[in-house]
Amino acid sequence: MSQKTRMAPKPDPQSVSTAADASAQVSMDPFFHILKLVPYSFLRPPRLRLKLPSFSLPSAMTVFSLILLTYFMVVSGFIYDVIVEPPGIGSTQDPATGAVRPIVFLPGRVNGQYIIEGLSSGFMFVLGGIGIVLLDLGLDKNRARSIKVSYSIAGISSIVIAYVMTTLFIRIKIPGYLG
Amino acid sequence: MAAVATMPVSDLLKSFKLKTKQQELLIRVSILCLVYILAFITRLFSVLRYESMIHEFDPYFNYRTTLYLTQNGFYDFWNWFDYESWYPLGRIVGGTLYPGLMITAALIYRILHFLRFAVHIREVCVLTAPFFASNTTLVAYFFGKEIWDTGAGLVAAILISVCPGYISRSVAGSYDNEGVAIFALLFTFYLFVKAVNTGSLAWSLASAFGYFYMVSAWGGYVFIINLIPLYVLVLLITGRYSMRLYVAYNCMYVLGMLLAMQIRFVGFQHVQSGEHMAAMGVFFLMQVFYFLDWVKHMLSDTKLFQAFLRITVTCAVAVGTIALGLGMLSGYISPWTGRFYSLLDPTYAKDHIPIIASVSEHQPTAWSSFMFDFHILLFLFPAGLYFCFKRLSDATIFIVMYGLTSMYFAGVMVRLILVATPAVCLISSIAVSATVKNLTVLLRSKNKGVQTGSTKGSSSSKASSKALLDQSQPFQKNGAIALLFGAFYLLSKYATHCTWVTSEAYSSPSIVLAARGAHGNRVIFDDYREAYFWLRQNTPPDAKVMSWWDYGYQITAMGNRTVIVDNNTWNNTHIATVGRAMSSYEDEAIEIMRSLDVNYVLVVFGGVTGYSSDDINKFLWMVRIGGGVFPVIKEPDYLVNGEYRVDKGAAPKMLNCLMYKLCYYRFGEMLTEYGKPPGYDRARGVEIGNKDIKLEHLEEAFTTSNWIVRIYKVKPPNNRW
Repeated sequence: MSQKTRMAPKPDPQSVSTAADASAQVSMDPFFHILKLVPYSFLRPPRLRLKLPSFSLPSAMTVFSLILLTYFMVVSGFIYDVIVEPPGIGSTQDPATGAVRPIVFLPGRVNGQYIIEGLSSGFMFVLGGIGIVLLDLGLDKNRARSIKVSYSIAGISSIVIAYVMTTLFIRIKIPGYLG
Repeated sequence: MAAVATMPVSDLLKSFKLKTKQQELLIRVSILCLVYILAFITRLFSVLRYESMIHEFDPYFNYRTTLYLTQNGFYDFWNWFDYESWYPLGRIVGGTLYPGLMITAALIYRILHFLRFAVHIREVCVLTAPFFASNTTLVAYFFGKEIWDTGAGLVAAILISVCPGYISRSVAGSYDNEGVAIFALLFTFYLFVKAVNTGSLAWSLASAFGYFYMVSAWGGYVFIINLIPLYVLVLLITGRYSMRLYVAYNCMYVLGMLLAMQIRFVGFQHVQSGEHMAAMGVFFLMQVFYFLDWVKHMLSDTKLFQAFLRITVTCAVAVGTIALGLGMLSGYISPWTGRFYSLLDPTYAKDHIPIIASVSEHQPTAWSSFMFDFHILLFLFPAGLYFCFKRLSDATIFIVMYGLTSMYFAGVMVRLILVATPAVCLISSIAVSATVKNLTVLLRSKNKGVQTGSTKGSSSSKASSKALLDQSQPFQKNGAIALLFGAFYLLSKYATHCTWVTSEAYSSPSIVLAARGAHGNRVIFDDYREAYFWLRQNTPPDAKVMSWWDYGYQITAMGNRTVIVDNNTWNNTHIATVGRAMSSYEDEAIEIMRSLDVNYVLVVFGGVTGYSSDDINKFLWMVRIGGGVFPVIKEPDYLVNGEYRVDKGAAPKMLNCLMYKLCYYRFGEMLTEYGKPPGYDRARGVEIGNKDIKLEHLEEAFTTSNWIVRIYKVKPPNNRW
């Protein structure tokens, strides 16, 4: 322990330190010594120009877009679709004409869905979220005014459409909604 | 000053005028008080409509144990062996429950009695959950303050006070573990984030005790002991290792683990169960990180350090993997239990564990359940995530991870929407707070711009740009006001939705059924309690009752009789035996019932009232669970072309099994609906197939006024024949 503390703060010039570093690197690694001996004393490795792939963390916004995708899948009931395996869209027979009519929203239960209604509702939720994000981007100071205005308008219209559609969907699904 | 002296009224007003900081504090405190009261009173619908009673099934067991605790003291409660359930096995209650809820309620009861308020323990039990919901709003405020700012904290408190996802399990009367556990969960998380932010040992200690309270309250503590290590791992990967994190996690893990082992039900799981191994792995990883950091600090030589780093990391990973492998192979570390494994692999329960798959709360979640429980929070959640990613810090990384993991689990199981609710409310509050802040900054900036323009003076170019700015400013100001009104509108729609959902969907006691009569008046069916009190008053005290496991807790608590199986569902074979008895012919069933010493059989039947959660609708689960243990029961025997029917076209085994006979005995003569033949089952919507039912070994003892609960007595064997 005391040797290490004495070794560490050596005020050597660069060349001596690099030589010392090189020698330190060569002498320290036991695996290097073993490998130098066993296959590579008689095998000659070819000269390759390979680089280890450098692992850099993705940026925050990349992660955010991936998360938005998984949020869309969870909220549209993807796991429900995988386990319960409902049909993509329901159907009923019209009693008068005998024709088969599609039913988009599974009636009768709160916790049940068809695949398409789940996906469309999930899309509306994500649209609402993106609308709020666009609104924030539109209120950001460091952009040109025309971009700010278009972001704001896109954001507000997204929020309005998403809210109206979602309320419509839930009203169709649950007949007694809100009194 | 002279002018002030001449007007005493305005003098008085001016002396009351508060500085801005004090005004802000007053507003904040009054908002929190109002939110506290709101969270309490919005959960009181069922108490006002019916009466102060315990709801559902599980709370009855909790109530019974709390009663036992207050009457007999802590040591008798801790060592209680209950011989009145799971006859003839009995149940070690002290070692198989989470005592936090009972001890909390008993403590509140003792405090109230000390203050000379002579309340009954039932009132305390009924109102425990709303009380803790109010406390949760306060914790949410402090948590929001920690991760963003005070505005977000206030909005978080408001959102969580009425959110239906939380209300569903914490109404007055829902005396269940989750009512207390969500408070403990959020409190532990808040204390831990505070500890990571400050690096103080005191906060880490507090978070360990918070974790202890959570472990004592609910089995969902496994979520905490896996989320926190995952969070620490993410911080290590993103390069946010610091001394604060080291102190916080070490203290919390070691102390929390030791405290958690004090609960007998948990026991040594923290070192033996696979579900807790992540925490241990991260603990050792933290030590490796600290060691490397220390070595780096000692060495000023980077190349040497790199070599050392490579060797150490390789050795640490190798040793860890070998240790884990040895532990799992030798069986010391048990694998993930079925309940938690089915969260990672949702298809597992459907194929392997029918008891877990049969509970309706364990079904995966559809979009409408999300909408029902969250409403506009579903829009605000991704926006809040965006704001968190814009301003990443240790605290926002935590709330993002909590939100994402809990939303995934909420997607797997409807019941876990409860665990996701605090995270969704907090993240949504960040979105609301940041958006409102942006808009109000826009509103205020106009005044500042005018002032600076007037004080600085301006050249012609500045004047023209200012003129342009002045032209757009009123438009922007109006736009901001309109958007603020829009936000206010959305939030008020949220409040309306939440109150409607609470009133219509989540305030039913489940033990008392309500329906709309022919003229729109409300009709109440109190059949369950009628049947249980009949049992209590008309059967011998040592009578044993066989029923499906759903009703076990209620029969023991209200009927005060011994049951064969109850909601604890700890013994699958015993439940399968009951399931086999219910689905066999009467001659085979009587053998099983005599071997279990059964005196009475209780079934729930909804054919007269149209009640759809009765035993006939649950019957296929009895077949599946019984068939899982006794292969003599085969599900296809009871189905016709894969379809489950009770009318003339039903399978012969179905028409003659015990459950069918007990439910439809004498029903063939009953007229249930105008214009339909006698024996018309209103819940299934068909006329029953077998109307002429004769019982050989059982006789009818009691049927409630609306035929919902039917009790049969097992006849003793014939004397001579």
